[in-house]
Amino acid sequence: MHLTDTEKRMRDGELGEPVRTAMAILMALGEIYGAEKLIPIRSAHVAGLSLKSHGLAGTEWAEDMASRGARVCIPTTMNVIGVDRSRDLHLPQAWVKDQLRIEAAYERMGCLGTSSCVPYYLGFVPRFQEHIAWAESSAVVFTNSVLGARDNREAGPSALASGLTGRTPLSGLHLEENRKGDVLFKVSAPLTNLADYGALGSYVGRIIGTKVPVFERMQEPSIEDLVYLGAGLASSGGVAMFHAVGVTPEAPTIESAFGGKKYEVLEITAKELEEGKQKLTSAKDRKVDYVAIGCPHCSLNQLKELATLLQGRRVNKETTLWIHTNVAIKSLANQLGYVQVIEDAGAVVTQDLCTILGNPEALGFKTLATNSPKMAFYAPGSNGFEVWYGSVEQCIEAAVHGSWNA
Amino acid sequence: MAIIVKGRSISKGCAEGEALVCREPIGFNFGIDVSNGVITEYKHELFGKSIKDRILLFPHGKGSTGGSYVVYQLAKNKTGPKAIINMTTETIIAVGAIMGSIPVMDSLEKNPYDLIFDGDHVKVDADHGLVVIEK
Repeated sequence: MHLTDTEKRMRDGELGEPVRTAMAILMALGEIYGAEKLIPIRSAHVAGLSLKSHGLAGTEWAEDMASRGARVCIPTTMNVIGVDRSRDLHLPQAWVKDQLRIEAAYERMGCLGTSSCVPYYLGFVPRFQEHIAWAESSAVVFTNSVLGARDNREAGPSALASGLTGRTPLSGLHLEENRKGDVLFKVSAPLTNLADYGALGSYVGRIIGTKVPVFERMQEPSIEDLVYLGAGLASSGGVAMFHAVGVTPEAPTIESAFGGKKYEVLEITAKELEEGKQKLTSAKDRKVDYVAIGCPHCSLNQLKELATLLQGRRVNKETTLWIHTNVAIKSLANQLGYVQVIEDAGAVVTQDLCTILGNPEALGFKTLATNSPKMAFYAPGSNGFEVWYGSVEQCIEAAVHGSWNA
Repeated sequence: MAIIVKGRSISKGCAEGEALVCREPIGFNFGIDVSNGVITEYKHELFGKSIKDRILLFPHGKGSTGGSYVVYQLAKNKTGPKAIINMTTETIIAVGAIMGSIPVMDSLEKNPYDLIFDGDHVKVDADHGLVVIEK
């Protein structure tokens, strides 16, 4: 791999041990994936910051990097963590303490404590064709597909390495030729809400693995619809980007989406969509003691919709309703009065954390209802919950009645 | 008899042990108990089975990008696989394995699913780009 003189000095440790470590990670990836050189990037996003992911081993690794003077040199946002720094959610003290150690280590490295999986809702919006090194699987899909930025499925540590060096190997989706579609999905199933888009993503992710799907006949999806589609694709599968013909910037036509490549064609009818929903449903007991919305973190639009749904209603006394977002969107929702309406109904608007990266299981919940394909996919393994999957309206009804009656 | 196959080294090192063959992709973040290496992903092919000390064959990683830290944790806790063989290794697995010094190879010159079966004794020599399967 060709290195500039500055990069050689970074590799040789002249800019400090942490930069040397970062370069070792990036050069290993560059060699594996055949990169001819490193390229400059504008921003990085570090993920895997939950105590569940880092554990003690990862925490000590991050603290060691920070202590040895690791400092990011480009804007580097931070992903969701496992606690809400603004209030006591009665999570175990040891959990909170250890989780905050991870947060502190990354902030010492100069990372921005945004604690959110949706930096693009917070003003961190890479432009079309901008090279970035973001981790967080749902954000990787969103920036590549919807914004047309250039990003690979960065691992947590490789995104940090890019933040410390301002560079990433020129490989994978940073190269135009790797961004073309592999399989065409003709969507005839009606997609009417986030849970539908999420189920579509989850169904397709499961069968397509790491390839690039192209969707045809998708009717005017909202930004939130596309976020949920991506979150589904990147949890059941390893998808890093999709095209939606006439919707996403690199797919004005089917031809441009595939760039002359041969492709397979599959249909998504109501049957496939239903199968996607069934695969995300693992509960049998209709009693629901925990409802969670906001994975990825809720947009302001979603909080407004939730305030409307919860206006004048009351969450069941045996059920807990958590709505996940970040500090920025929560502040705005607070100013606009949405938070008060939601919390007057007995729900909690959390910041910084989410269900799968936090540990609400410590509060004794057993059965979760959600409209998130990502939360539904991971919660059985991460939290030990059984899951009901459906629309936000179904979830709010479950919260109010304490049972799933769809 | 031993079958020797060449492949691409992703993470250097050399290890041998009993093979565990998985046809599904594996997502390490939220999909495994790091205290014992048991797969916890709902309805996963390996659900309830431990990958600890095995030579683990699976097609590629999937899901959450925090998985690298989980691979690293497994290595530090000594609850992870001794070595990994993939069809194509993606960044998440590669970075975690390099940090945790778990040997990884991919892109073998022959399809590993035709050669490696549960319980086979397999050696992954990622220093020399070789997989040796004892039959």
